[in-house]
Amino acid sequence: MRGVILAVPNKGRLRGPAMEVLERANIRPLDNDRVYLSNTTLEGVQLLSIRAADIPIYIYYGIADLGITGRDVVAESGLEVYELADMGFGECSLVVAVKSDSKYRDPSELPHGTRVATEFPNLTKQFFNELGIQVEVITLRGAVEIAPLLGLADCVVDLSSTGRTLERNGLRAIGTILRSTAKLICNKVAYKTRYEQIKMLEDLLVRSA
Amino acid sequence: MTTQIARMLASRACSEGRLFYIENCIRFLSPKAYSQREFWQAGAELVGEGGVEADGEVVALALECLERAGLVGAKVDLGSIPVFRKTVEQFNITNYEGLRRAISAKSMGDLREVTTDKRAIEVFAYMMEERGGPDVLTRLSEMGVRGLNEDVRYFEELFDVIKAYGYSRNVRIDLSTLREMKYYNGVVFEIFLEGVGIPIGGGGRYDAMMKEFGMDVSAAGFAVSVDLLVRVVEGLSVRRSSPLQVYYIEGYREKAIGLARRLRDKGKPCTVSRYRGEKEGILVGETIIEMNGGNSLEEKL
Repeated sequence: MRGVILAVPNKGRLRGPAMEVLERANIRPLDNDRVYLSNTTLEGVQLLSIRAADIPIYIYYGIADLGITGRDVVAESGLEVYELADMGFGECSLVVAVKSDSKYRDPSELPHGTRVATEFPNLTKQFFNELGIQVEVITLRGAVEIAPLLGLADCVVDLSSTGRTLERNGLRAIGTILRSTAKLICNKVAYKTRYEQIKMLEDLLVRSA
Repeated sequence: MTTQIARMLASRACSEGRLFYIENCIRFLSPKAYSQREFWQAGAELVGEGGVEADGEVVALALECLERAGLVGAKVDLGSIPVFRKTVEQFNITNYEGLRRAISAKSMGDLREVTTDKRAIEVFAYMMEERGGPDVLTRLSEMGVRGLNEDVRYFEELFDVIKAYGYSRNVRIDLSTLREMKYYNGVVFEIFLEGVGIPIGGGGRYDAMMKEFGMDVSAAGFAVSVDLLVRVVEGLSVRRSSPLQVYYIEGYREKAIGLARRLRDKGKPCTVSRYRGEKEGILVGETIIEMNGGNSLEEKL
């Protein structure tokens, strides 16, 4: 039987705190941090370092067994995985934001045809569908905050933890789509077929969180 | 496929039967899902029998089909829609879909968003966590969920039936198994294979859907994903036996064909042709000889 593969973000805001949890759990990669898949100081546990947004995909298909990633990217992926525990860090909200001088105070006031720039097209479409507002979703891969200023979009759907980045870019949040923290997620089949190994690692990580 | 079969049965007023299918299905996909619009399903439906024996037979048949396809050791997790419903009703939870999603995702965070009732959280957390035999139900009953006597007895019997089929080691209860399809109203199950990340199939009892279609009849069934199975079986690199070459010496063609037919009946593929000095295969003449071994096969065959 192969060991358990634990996926962690290889960069971004969750990387640091996730690696600290592993440090406290005494799980250290044996290879340098450029290696995607590395053995660790804990026998039978391998560390997979990939982008946070790809972690739900690796978990869903059972390539990785456990993973630490944000609830936001799990929800965006729409994939069914177990969310075993909250890791207690990476708190943020997915918000709808408009230019500070905009007249709109709530997402429900936005008119049909509003252009929304986001890294979360699925959650954005779903949110506005439920409001019954037809919007044009523009998917970007980063620096979403700049889109309204340059006239690419009328509003953005973006992550915000303190609101400072929004403010700096002349934006104001008018609604929250989802609150997110880092979660310990697990492949549904792995949880059933290798329960003991997974449970052991889950307990260890939750204790160290 | 199940929905279509139920509709078909109901419209033909067919109240009992055992059906199987291997069919291509087309589905509408939400943009989220990472799967194919067209996929192949193989399954079976048992219509007209409602007892615990029928449920056990469906589970056992699913496992046996997989075994015949070379996939030994598949696992089945059983859940129960009635048990889930009773628990939901007892705690007066109105957000049924939200709860179903929280439980299927084993997410305590989502569960706390659905209810703040401490006892409800304790009970549903138990349903998410615990896996095992019929005692899982007994414990749930002891935790204060009412009206489960019938379900405890049902699962005890179901495990007996499954044991009689020789599959008790493959089957467990996991009450967070709730299947996405809303038409199930009794036992539900999912089928797993170690190393395959996605359930390869599942099924359950759907009498209620038959009723929707206007027929008051019992029905249960299962389906497995053919596309997934093909992937797994190819990965196993199961060696396909090449056909056996049967050669005949002039004048013995009829005997060779007779032998080939007997071999094919036993499931052994073979070809028949005139002997031209080949070194391997079976040579049919006065006697039948396995050429590379030089043994006479007269008696063995």
